[in-house]
Amino acid sequence: MAAKKASPDLVNSSFSFKSLKLKTKQQELLLRVSILGLVYVLAFIARLFSVLRYESMIHEFDPYFNYRTTLFLTEKGFYEFWNWFDSESWYPLGRIIGGTLYPGLMVTAALIYWTLRFLRFFVHIREVCVLTAPFFASNTTLVAYFFGKEIWDTGAGLVAAALIAICPGYISRSVAGSYDNEAVAIFALLLTFYLFVKAVKTGSLSWALGSAFGYFYMVSAWGGYVFIINLVPLYVLVLLITGRYSMRLYVAYNCMYILGMLLAMQIRFVGFQHVQSGEHMAAMGVFLLMQVFYFLDWVKHQLNDTKLFQTFLRITVTSAILVGGIALGVGTASGYISPWTGRFYSLLDPTYAKDHIPIIASVSEHQPTAWSSFMFDYHILLFLFPAGLYFCFKRLSDATIFIVMYGLTSLYFAGVMVRLILVATPAVCLISAIAVSATVKNLTSLLRTKQKVPQTGSTKGVGSSKSSSKVTLDQSQPFHKNGAIALLVGVFYLLSRYAIHCTWVTSEAYSSPSIVLAARGAHGNRIIFDDYREAYYWLRQNTPTDAKVMSWWDYGYQITAMGNRTVIVDNNTWNNTHIATVGRAMSSYEDEAYDIMRSLDVNYVLVVFGGVTGYSSDDINKFLWMVRIGGGVYPVIKEPDYLVNGEFRVDKGASPKMLNCLMYKLCYYRFGELVTEYGKPTGYDRARGVEIGNKDIKLEHLEEAYTTSNWIVRIYRVKPPTNRL
Amino acid sequence: MTMAINKKLLSLLLLVSSLSSIASASFSDPDSDSDLTNELASLRSNSESGVIHLDDHGISKFLISSPTPRPYSILLFFDATQLHSKTELRLQELRREFGLVSATFLANNNGSDLNKLFFCEIEFSRSQSSFQRFGVNALPHIRLVTGSTAKLSDESGQMDQSDFARLAESMAEFVEQRTKLTVGPIQRPPFLSKAQISVIVAMIVIATPFVIKRILRGETLLHDHRLWLSGAIFIYFFSVAGTMHNIIRKMPMFLQDRNDPNKLVFFYQGSGMQLGAEGFAVGFLYTVVGLLLAFVTNVLVRVRNLNVQRLVMLVALVVSSWAVKQVVYLDNWKTGYGIHPYWPSSWQ
Repeated sequence: MAAKKASPDLVNSSFSFKSLKLKTKQQELLLRVSILGLVYVLAFIARLFSVLRYESMIHEFDPYFNYRTTLFLTEKGFYEFWNWFDSESWYPLGRIIGGTLYPGLMVTAALIYWTLRFLRFFVHIREVCVLTAPFFASNTTLVAYFFGKEIWDTGAGLVAAALIAICPGYISRSVAGSYDNEAVAIFALLLTFYLFVKAVKTGSLSWALGSAFGYFYMVSAWGGYVFIINLVPLYVLVLLITGRYSMRLYVAYNCMYILGMLLAMQIRFVGFQHVQSGEHMAAMGVFLLMQVFYFLDWVKHQLNDTKLFQTFLRITVTSAILVGGIALGVGTASGYISPWTGRFYSLLDPTYAKDHIPIIASVSEHQPTAWSSFMFDYHILLFLFPAGLYFCFKRLSDATIFIVMYGLTSLYFAGVMVRLILVATPAVCLISAIAVSATVKNLTSLLRTKQKVPQTGSTKGVGSSKSSSKVTLDQSQPFHKNGAIALLVGVFYLLSRYAIHCTWVTSEAYSSPSIVLAARGAHGNRIIFDDYREAYYWLRQNTPTDAKVMSWWDYGYQITAMGNRTVIVDNNTWNNTHIATVGRAMSSYEDEAYDIMRSLDVNYVLVVFGGVTGYSSDDINKFLWMVRIGGGVYPVIKEPDYLVNGEFRVDKGASPKMLNCLMYKLCYYRFGELVTEYGKPTGYDRARGVEIGNKDIKLEHLEEAYTTSNWIVRIYRVKPPTNRL
Repeated sequence: MTMAINKKLLSLLLLVSSLSSIASASFSDPDSDSDLTNELASLRSNSESGVIHLDDHGISKFLISSPTPRPYSILLFFDATQLHSKTELRLQELRREFGLVSATFLANNNGSDLNKLFFCEIEFSRSQSSFQRFGVNALPHIRLVTGSTAKLSDESGQMDQSDFARLAESMAEFVEQRTKLTVGPIQRPPFLSKAQISVIVAMIVIATPFVIKRILRGETLLHDHRLWLSGAIFIYFFSVAGTMHNIIRKMPMFLQDRNDPNKLVFFYQGSGMQLGAEGFAVGFLYTVVGLLLAFVTNVLVRVRNLNVQRLVMLVALVVSSWAVKQVVYLDNWKTGYGIHPYWPSSWQ
């Protein structure tokens, strides 16, 4: 039986040897699909480090809000979610959730959840939320493959998929548990770009339609869609300037813009902004310019006289620009077109935020990027990028122009804000992939021709015309083989370093949930600080359900999601005055703060303190921002009052206002009795490395309610007013 | 006739009154305070942006011989024309900013506060003795002499380096903090005046049709690949070198070592911060490697001479491996991370 069975296989294989051409193609397809499959899996499992090292939980701050809303969505349904007025945050103002969020992420997770339920997989919604980001990262690798294939060839596509799968710049925002808008947005961003490039290349309405829907998904998911709606017109403008106007471009852009706009306006948070705000005006301007170009083309076709056409051209273009300029001016002056928002403006003039909007400048991910961050997030891709640019310019097409523009603009923005490295990552990966793929292809084809295998030429397929011409040039040179081998070894060495770097960075730096802290003990063992959750669960179980908790805005989302208590301010920084009020309370003397807290009905105050553990991102280190933000609205708070000769100190030399403000008192209450480090005096602050200046702190209107085991979170109860005499 | 007499009389009267005012000032009787203030005010109204130019005589008159609880403070800018050529002192720039603070103070105050603070400057070559009296031997130097300052060599009113680091804004903060007067937001003159803007706009409008004509013909600089390529490489270099970081944070190119002032620090340890020269050096290394790769695979293969090819290839390989090593080493040093591969646990 076995022999009989084996024989047809033999026949088959000998038969397929004869039709070698088909076989190599199939082989190639098989290889490609299996590589892609492996990359798909790799992208997913590389992001599971956080689950392995800690546990399956939601990370950071914003994801807790997203988790809370997703939970609401799955429990109450879409209609309730859309009309949700949340009275548990921004007390006493409340917040209209449905109109002030991008629902894409929550709806996506809920859909996945409902699908799984439908297929009878009974998972908890939290697991779905935790794994949404890795799942979409895997999908992004597929899009990157197709995109790379579109702008260069399949080889570049595969390399791009592999690079983006483990690129730290992307992993930093998409590990399991970082359930944030960016998790799905990068997928949507790349998909939109890919479909648009495809539409420009083919001029087909269906691709343009696809890109409009991709854009819609992006708008529903993340505020970063503004990047798309400005990059695409810019790209079209460059194509127009460099004389690459075509009917394909006309179809692609008009369809994408009009449909995309109509769809985007369905998102309540965007709404009419899409046609009214200054950030979207570039797209509209280019749309009108396209019509002018089309019209001119038509007139040129009608008029056979070139001279007549020239004068006509001059008049039309001048008047079009004039009319556009006047319309923009009138629109802005009458207030119909709203000016740019601060966030957008700070991208164009980066020094703006620092001087004018402390609430933007205070966030650590809005800081400008130093070279080491680029190195950390891109590693060798940075070296490959200029080479990739060079290759793109060597083979200029509509698609390569797009990727070059995407790469350069996003890289510039990444230099302005650390968090925008994320947006630049796909472009950097794609351009670097072009460099790798083109180099390796050139070199291996050199090697192969030396072996004189005639069939290999056919496997090259499309992109080999250039390399083969080079090959014929160099055929008589024996050195080149050695040189090529040396170069190849170099490239593969670099790539292996990249893999090592990415694995290490993912596992050590980017998998920390930041709600559970880890440190290395004296003997190299891992110590886990789970104080945050300890505090939030204490709140949940030991305080009245209608208790109001005041804390700095960083912890607002976590308190509402995990502690299930009402907060005064949270990470959605929509009301600057409210935040400034909290900042003012924190930086005032206790009796003044008490009046503010009474007016806000505060029952508990929560502060984060790292003096015992040496945790450096605590409230004392954030304190100057509270002062700045508070002082921005209430001029009674002055930053110099808290500084000594421009220096921020907490020891004996600190300013008297600092030593007696509410934040200082709450953080260091009873800290003066504690010995934190052997051989140091009592009250030695390990986060700042000094002995504190005020060890004898008495609280008058507040009392300590709970302090977690490592003192990281301290909760105080606001006493009711004493009886009137 | 009467008209002429009247004129003469008037001028005589003026002369007498001015003489008496000078006399009263130099004798410094208690009532002279308001006269001194008035005189300063009139001097101010005659000088550009309200900065009074004082010499030795003026210093002795307004600061030395007047009794100590003076009704006014003086913010004094020490200038030296002979040092204007030394750009690292930034004297001229600081003097301009000083003028801006003064002009803003004038614009935002009226009434009694206006005469509580006067902005003055003295110049080294014409008032050397005053420099000695103030004990100033290094520039730039800005000193606030408050009404209660008795000794001129008292250095408590000196403005620190950090106080004019952010130019006029920080100077204004210093003044507001020390004198309890308000200066208000600095009003800088617009970069281009309205006339200039309108001319530029008109020129752009006129030029547009011609430009568009050339664009349609396809013969502008914009159609040159090389220009675009070098621009692209420049933007890349600009971003990865952290130039935006340097601009936003106003980082210096290098620092002086605190322990050894002759030594310069070019590299800052700690991620998230960098010095200017450091970023450019690393950005340069990045760019060199990438361009070498492109060069070797795209240009070098066309070179006919075998030896040249070998040599260049060798150089390129050595240079790029050195550059990569350097960057990785620097990154590890800067961030303090020790990046290592994970081997299977059975191998250890």
